[in-house]
Amino acid sequence: MLSFYETMNREGVVLYFNGPISQSVVEGIGDMMRRKMAFEENGMQLAQKVFSVLVEQMQNVICYARESCTATECIGVGQIMVGRSGEQFYVACGNPVSRKREQRIRERIDTVNGMSREELKAYYKEQRRKGPDEDSCGAGLGFIEMARKASRPLQYRFDPIDDTTSFFAVKVHI
Amino acid sequence: MTPLARFYVAATKSSPAIDFDPASNSMSMRGESYPENCSRFYEPVFQWLRHYLAYTGTQPMLLDLEIIYFNSSSSKTFMDLFDLLDAAAETGKPVTVRWHYHPENETAFECGEEFQEDVRHMTFELVPKTV
Repeated sequence: MLSFYETMNREGVVLYFNGPISQSVVEGIGDMMRRKMAFEENGMQLAQKVFSVLVEQMQNVICYARESCTATECIGVGQIMVGRSGEQFYVACGNPVSRKREQRIRERIDTVNGMSREELKAYYKEQRRKGPDEDSCGAGLGFIEMARKASRPLQYRFDPIDDTTSFFAVKVHI
Repeated sequence: MTPLARFYVAATKSSPAIDFDPASNSMSMRGESYPENCSRFYEPVFQWLRHYLAYTGTQPMLLDLEIIYFNSSSSKTFMDLFDLLDAAAETGKPVTVRWHYHPENETAFECGEEFQEDVRHMTFELVPKTV
């Protein structure tokens, strides 16, 4: 554990979580991260952006597990990481997704990565009125929201785990 | 139609306090908005409002919103809510929405502006919170 702790510190990792993620985890981790950033006087803007991306990512993880939800509860499994180098923060997340979803997720991220600030705003408003497509989680606006908070294009990759599942990782530089 | 009862929901960590008072035609939602299932959480709000709008006709109404943070699903839900109120305003009901934001919170201001740009018939005010 100590070497793991030291490595994380050296890499500038502020927060790392690996395991089951439910709504109460989203609330707890999100709130704690926001308090920590406020305590360190990072500015309301930056704290809000990190919080926002963190919530979108964690709720995505819950959503990717929606086939296995019960009527009252949904638990996803994944990793969440917040890191910093100097004044720059990043929020990353990794989780298994069904391979059926891979293509649609790629398309969504590639679409927002190719857009300017103004185009993102227009696209966000258009999609907000249109409503989500069938395969979306929630309102289908999460990646647009992340792209609007990001200072660089979203980085992502898929690594196959088996015939039906891939490991999806996405990193958002704030 | 039966008179409407006051509609009140207590805040949680991820959902706002809701207080809709038909006697004074004033409504408010204050707090955070990132519930697990946004459409399920807000469905009773829409039901109540549809009933209220049908029942109160052209009486003026006021909605105060002071949302610290909302996720992308809530954004969609709020747009649906404003569309519903905007449609009522179009048919002659004076509707005012006041979007309260913290002056240091640029994001909250911009979000309010984006909603303001997307409504046509109601009054949508951006109100900086005095601290």
